[in-house]
Amino acid sequence: MSDNDVLISARGLSVGFRIGGGLFGKSILKAVDGVNIDIEKGSFYGIVGESGSGKTTLGRALLKAVPITEGEARYTDEDVDYDLTTLDGAELKDYRKRAQLIFQDPYAALSPRMTVRDIIAEPLEVMGLTRSREETDERVREIAAKCRLNLEHLRRFPHAFSGGQRQRISIARALVSGPNFIVADESVAALDVSIQADVLNLLKQIQKEMGLTFMFISHDLSVVAHTCDHVAVMYLGRLVETAPTREMFREPKHPYTRALFSAIPSLDPDDRGKAQKLEGEIPSPTNQPPGCKFHTRCPHAEYRCMQEEPKLEAAGNGHEVACHRWKELLEMVPA
Amino acid sequence: MTDVNTTPESLTNQKAKEAYFTASQSQLIWARFKKQRAAMVAAIVLLVLILSGLFAPFLSPYDPTIAGRDKDYTNGAPQIPQFCDKNGCSIRPFIHAVKRERSMATNFRWVTTVDEDTRHYMTFLPEGDDYQLFGFIRMDTHLFGVENGKIHLFGTDEDGQDIFSRTLHSIWTSMKVGSIGVFIAFVLALIIGGVSGYYGGWIDSVIQMVTDAVRTVPAIPLFMAVAAFMPPEMTAEARFFYISLILGFIGWPTLARRVRTHLLTERNQEYVLAAQLCGAKPGHVIRKHLLPSFTSYIIVDLVISFPYMVLSETALSFIGLGLKDPVSSLGVMLQKATSADVLLNYQWYFIPVIFFIALVMAFVFVGDGLRDAADPYSDSHK
Amino acid sequence: MSALIDVENLTLKFRTDEGLVTAVDNVSFSINKGEVMGLVGESGSGKSVTAKALMHLNARNAVYTPESKITLHTDDGPVDVLSLKRPADLKVVRGGAISMIFQEPMASFAPAMTVGKQMVEQLMLHSDMSKARAKDISVEMLDRVGISDASSRFNQYAFELSGGMRQRAMIAMALSTQPKLLIADEPTTALDVTIQAQVIDLMKDLVDEFHMGIIFITHDLGVVAQTADKVSVMYLGRLIEEGPVRPVIRDAKHPYTQGLLAALPKLDDLDAPLMPVPGDIPSPLERPSGCVFHTRCGKVVGEVCMAVRPEYVTTEPDHRVACHIYSEATS
Repeated sequence: MSDNDVLISARGLSVGFRIGGGLFGKSILKAVDGVNIDIEKGSFYGIVGESGSGKTTLGRALLKAVPITEGEARYTDEDVDYDLTTLDGAELKDYRKRAQLIFQDPYAALSPRMTVRDIIAEPLEVMGLTRSREETDERVREIAAKCRLNLEHLRRFPHAFSGGQRQRISIARALVSGPNFIVADESVAALDVSIQADVLNLLKQIQKEMGLTFMFISHDLSVVAHTCDHVAVMYLGRLVETAPTREMFREPKHPYTRALFSAIPSLDPDDRGKAQKLEGEIPSPTNQPPGCKFHTRCPHAEYRCMQEEPKLEAAGNGHEVACHRWKELLEMVPA
Repeated sequence: MTDVNTTPESLTNQKAKEAYFTASQSQLIWARFKKQRAAMVAAIVLLVLILSGLFAPFLSPYDPTIAGRDKDYTNGAPQIPQFCDKNGCSIRPFIHAVKRERSMATNFRWVTTVDEDTRHYMTFLPEGDDYQLFGFIRMDTHLFGVENGKIHLFGTDEDGQDIFSRTLHSIWTSMKVGSIGVFIAFVLALIIGGVSGYYGGWIDSVIQMVTDAVRTVPAIPLFMAVAAFMPPEMTAEARFFYISLILGFIGWPTLARRVRTHLLTERNQEYVLAAQLCGAKPGHVIRKHLLPSFTSYIIVDLVISFPYMVLSETALSFIGLGLKDPVSSLGVMLQKATSADVLLNYQWYFIPVIFFIALVMAFVFVGDGLRDAADPYSDSHK
Repeated sequence: MSALIDVENLTLKFRTDEGLVTAVDNVSFSINKGEVMGLVGESGSGKSVTAKALMHLNARNAVYTPESKITLHTDDGPVDVLSLKRPADLKVVRGGAISMIFQEPMASFAPAMTVGKQMVEQLMLHSDMSKARAKDISVEMLDRVGISDASSRFNQYAFELSGGMRQRAMIAMALSTQPKLLIADEPTTALDVTIQAQVIDLMKDLVDEFHMGIIFITHDLGVVAQTADKVSVMYLGRLIEEGPVRPVIRDAKHPYTQGLLAALPKLDDLDAPLMPVPGDIPSPLERPSGCVFHTRCGKVVGEVCMAVRPEYVTTEPDHRVACHIYSEATS
C-alpha cells in the first residue's frame, strides 16, 4: 500500500446474523467473512459482487448500521481516530457526521411526506449542526445547487421527481452534514442508462470539489471500471480479488472475476458465444460450501479447493488474489 | 434543468402542475376523495347529521325529556305542516289542531281527532323551553314551533315526548358516546400497538398475546357483568361516561393490531434507516417518519370504527344495560318499541331508525372513500 | 418469413387523476416467425405498455384510439386482438398463441401453489390434454430449461427456488403451451450478471428450437446486441428508430439512440468520459410538442423539431428513423 493516509481500514472484518427465528436462533449466517480492506483518503473504492456477496452488509457495517461481530475496523482522519467496533455514545454521534450512505432505491429512500427542503435539512436538524433556521436553509440551498437542484424543487414533494432527480436529492442529503466518507450502495443501479452517467459524473465532480472518499458498491463492472480507482471483488462474504482498476482490468486473476467479465453482454453483435459461462447457481449464504466458496462453480476447481480456503496473496502491482491456483491459471488461460 | 416546454403552456396548466408537485399528502388525499361521488354525498349527509346533532336543542321545538312532553298528545301520529287544506291555501305553513276525548265507542279510551277547521300556524324562532347550547350557552330560542299547542313532526311516544326532538338529541348522544369510545380505543391502540410494532421481537410477541386475549372476551356478558355492578342511583351522565369507557376498552385490540402492522412495515423503509443513520432518536423517527406514514390509514380505521361504537351502544341500551332515561339515544328510544301495540299501531316510533341507518351508512361510505383515496403514495413506483 | 403479429398505429392513453396521459403514440411494427425483436427504452418509454397491449392486458383505464390495430396471425386466420372482449376469445391470445414472462419471477408464481401445479393448470387451460400428460410435458420443459432434478422441482414452491431457477421455471411455464410469440419483459434485469448470461443463452437456444418470435423488452443494449435480430427504440411512447441489430448498434441514426450508446460505460476504453444524455426524461404529464426528444436533443435542426412530429425516413433497407435531421436531408 502506498503511504497516502488510509481513511478506513479493516482486518478480519466479519458480520454475522443469528438466524432461525423466534427467541432461540441457532445458526449464524456470516454475511461478511474475514474481510481485509484499506481505503485511502480521496479514493473512489469499488466493491463488486452479486447477490449474497455481502457487499451491502460490508458497507453498512462500516457505517455502523449493522453490528460488526468479529475483527477490527478503524476510521482515521486528521481530527479523530475511531475504533469502529467499539464506537458508541458521543463518538458514534460524531462519526455519523463524517460518514454517510446513499441508497440504491431512489423511490424508497426519500420520505414521501416531507418536502425536499425538509429531507435535505433533516441531518442538520437531527445532528444539531446549525444554529438557526436561516443557517439551515443556507446550507440546504448550497448543497442543492451543488447537486443541480433548483430552488423551486425545494418546495416540492418527492412524488414530483424522476428517479435521477430523486437520487440527486439523496446525494444532497448525504452531503449536507459535511462528511468525509460516503458509501454509495448501488446508487445508480435503479437509474436509466442515460441518467446513470449523469449521476456518476456528479459523484466524481463532488468528490473532487469536496475531497471526499467514496466506497462505491455495485454489481455492474463496467460502471465500476469507469468511476473507481480501486476495485475489490466479493463472493459469498469473502474478498476474492482486489487491485487498482487498471491493473484489475488489464489482467483479472481470479476465476470468478474472469467469469464476471465475460458475462457482461458485449455491445458487438458478432461477439456472440465467446463468453465463458459459469454453470450452477450462487450458493445460499446459509449453506456455504466448505473450502473455497467458489469451488462449486469454478471450472478449475481441484481437490485442494474443496478442503482449504485460500487466503489473499499479493500478486504484484497492488494486486491481491485469493485462489490456490491463480499462478497456474495465468499460464493456462490467458485473460 | 426543469423540463422546458417550448409550446406556450397556458398559465393555469402550469399552475395546476406546480400545485400537484407541491401538494402534501393530505391535499392529495382530498383531491382523490373528491372524485368519488358516493363518498362525497355520504360526507355531506354525515355533515348534515352531525350538525343537526350539534344544534339539536335549537332545532328541536321541545325539550326531549319528560319535562317537555305533551300530555294531550301521547302516542300521537306525526303532524306534517301543510300549506293548503279544504279551506284554502296560505303562505304560512300550518297544522290542524287535535282534540282528544274519551269516546264511548272505544270503551272510554282516549281518541284523537283532527279538527280540520282550526289551524295552528307555524312560528319561526319562537321562544320555548330553556336549554344550553353546546352545554353552556343559555338560550331559549328554537328554530320553529306553533302558535298554539305543539307540533310533532315525527309524532310522540307513550309519554308524549316529541320523537323529532328525541331523534335529534339521540344523534348527538350517539356521536358523543362514539367519540369518547373511539378516542379511548385509539389512544390505547396507539400506545400498545405502537410499542409492539416499533420494538418488535419478544415485546411484540408478548403484547400480541395479551391483545388476542382481550379480543376474545365476549362483549355482551362483559357488559352484563359491568351493568350489574353499576349502582342504579348513578346519574345518567356518569353512566354515560362509563359506557363509553367500556366500549373503548373493548375496541382497542383491532385498532392496535392495525397500528402494529403499519409500524412493522414502515420501520423497515429505507428512509427510516436514512434518518437513523443521522443519529435520529426513536422519538424523532416515530414523529416525523412513522406516524405520518400511517395517519391516513388510522383516520380510515377511526371513521370505520365509529359505526361499530354507535351500534354497540344502541344494542346495549336496547337491552337495558346501557343508557337510560332521561338521556335519549336510539337504543333507549327503541326500548319502548318492543310491544305489539307499538308495532301494530304506532309505527312512527321507528322513524329514528332511518336516521341511524343513514348515519351508519354515511360513516361507512366516507370511510371507504377515504380508504380508496388514502395513501396517494402507494403507487409511487412510476 | 411469415408475419406473426402486425401492430399498426397503436396509440394508447391512460385516464388518470391528473388527466389523459399518452403512453404509446402511433407505434407500428411487425414480428416474423423466428425473429427476435429487441424493444429498447428507458422508464416512461411505453415499452411494457405496448407489450401488454399485444395481449390486451392493459388496465381498464387504458383508452385505445380507433386507428390502433393489432393483428395476430394464427393458424385459424388473423385475429384482431384489440376487438376481443370475451374471456374465451382472449384465452387464445393470452397464454395460448402469445406468452409473457416478467421481470420479477416471484410475482408471476402464486406463492401458495407448487410450481408444477401452476404449470399443469396453465397447460390444461389452453388445451384438453389429461392431467398426467400435462405433468409429463411440464417436467420435460423444466428439464429443457436447465433445471436440475426437474421432477422434484416440480413439487416445490416458488420461494424455494433461487432467482435464476425461478426465471427458468417461468420460461418453462410460458413455453409449455408452445406459443408462437413470446414477450419477455425485462426477464434478466433482476438477475445477477452470471445468471443473466445463462438465461440469455437458454433463450437463444429455445428460439432456435421452437422457432418462436420473441419480443425482448429491456433497457440493456448489451443484452439486445447479443440476442436480437432487430431493434426498436422507444422514447416517451414513440418508436424513434427501428432496424436490424447491426446497423442500429453500429450506426445509430437517431440522436437518442446515439446518446444511449454513448452513455454506456465501455470496458474497452476506460479513459473515455461518461456521456449522459442531457436533461431528464420529461414527466408524462408534460409531453413535449413536435418531436418528443427535442428537449434533450443536442442536434436540434430548427423550429421544426419543436413544432412538427417527425415521420419515418428509411435510411437503409429496413432501417427507419423518426428524426428531422434525415427528413431535411431527403426533402
